[in-house]
Amino acid sequence: MSKHSALNTFGRSGNPAFTRNFENTQAFSQSDRMTLDGAVNKTAILLALCFAGAFAGWNVPVLAMPGLIIGTILAFVTIFRNPAKAGSTAPFYAAFEGMALGGITVFAEMQYPGIGIQAIGLTFGILASLLFCYKSGIIKPTENFRLMLFSATMGIFLLYLVSFIMSFFGSGIGFIHSNGLFGIGFSLFVVGIAALNLVLDFDFIEEGAEKGLPKYMEWYGAFSLMVTLVWLYVEILRLLMKLRSR
Amino acid sequence: MNTILFGILAILSLFIFMNLGKIKASKKQMDRDDRINWGGKRRPNVQQNRDGSKIIEGSAEEVNDETKK
Repeated sequence: MSKHSALNTFGRSGNPAFTRNFENTQAFSQSDRMTLDGAVNKTAILLALCFAGAFAGWNVPVLAMPGLIIGTILAFVTIFRNPAKAGSTAPFYAAFEGMALGGITVFAEMQYPGIGIQAIGLTFGILASLLFCYKSGIIKPTENFRLMLFSATMGIFLLYLVSFIMSFFGSGIGFIHSNGLFGIGFSLFVVGIAALNLVLDFDFIEEGAEKGLPKYMEWYGAFSLMVTLVWLYVEILRLLMKLRSR
Repeated sequence: MNTILFGILAILSLFIFMNLGKIKASKKQMDRDDRINWGGKRRPNVQQNRDGSKIIEGSAEEVNDETKK
């Protein structure tokens, strides 16, 4: 039995999508089941759409804000409303989020030329190296690993939320946005947490394929990978901007 | 030069992801007892007896004052 009483009471996953779909997988035929190939191909489709959106955002930076708002709404709809419809919402999420990233990257490029390709290279570099570490068993995600990451991610989310709300009143948590040592250290920590979230996404996809979840979970797995990649890219961009501004 | 290097890194990493992602994880990764159970439901270890009392599985251990010291 787990040492964590919350896990024993509420179960292993708080995500409704996971709890709903891991039971009774025997009811699906072989062709209707999730596979690794399918999840990777769908991630490639979402990445292609994200790049197409980024191209639009790069050329028309005004699209960044609507892209960010619509993309965020679509992410929440996919996670909380109906994960089974991820096949229709995730491509739009990728495209809109791409527009936002394109606009943000143009803004960063104007200040620090060449920063965009550095952030893209580092993001995909981290993706490939962590995938290798996961597949080879160098990094082993356990329940404690997940709890630690979940706590850290929620902590960061709350800190950003408080900072965002405080910005309406003319103040904010300055040190997390500064280019001082603490600001850079904080950004490094956030990049680390975002990168480790990729391991959880790999594990979810691997177990989903192993247990033969329904086919639409390929889209859901690809979508969760995209959400983490978008977050990682933004955080790497922020870190590089802080480093370059010193 | 910087752009070319990071561009190559991005393309190479995507190529690795597309190929490595389709391969099953190693046994070292998969054959573990402490894997994350994404299913959510866990079998509780506490069983209900007929008279309503609860039986907790596991070895019993006698606790007395001496063991505390």
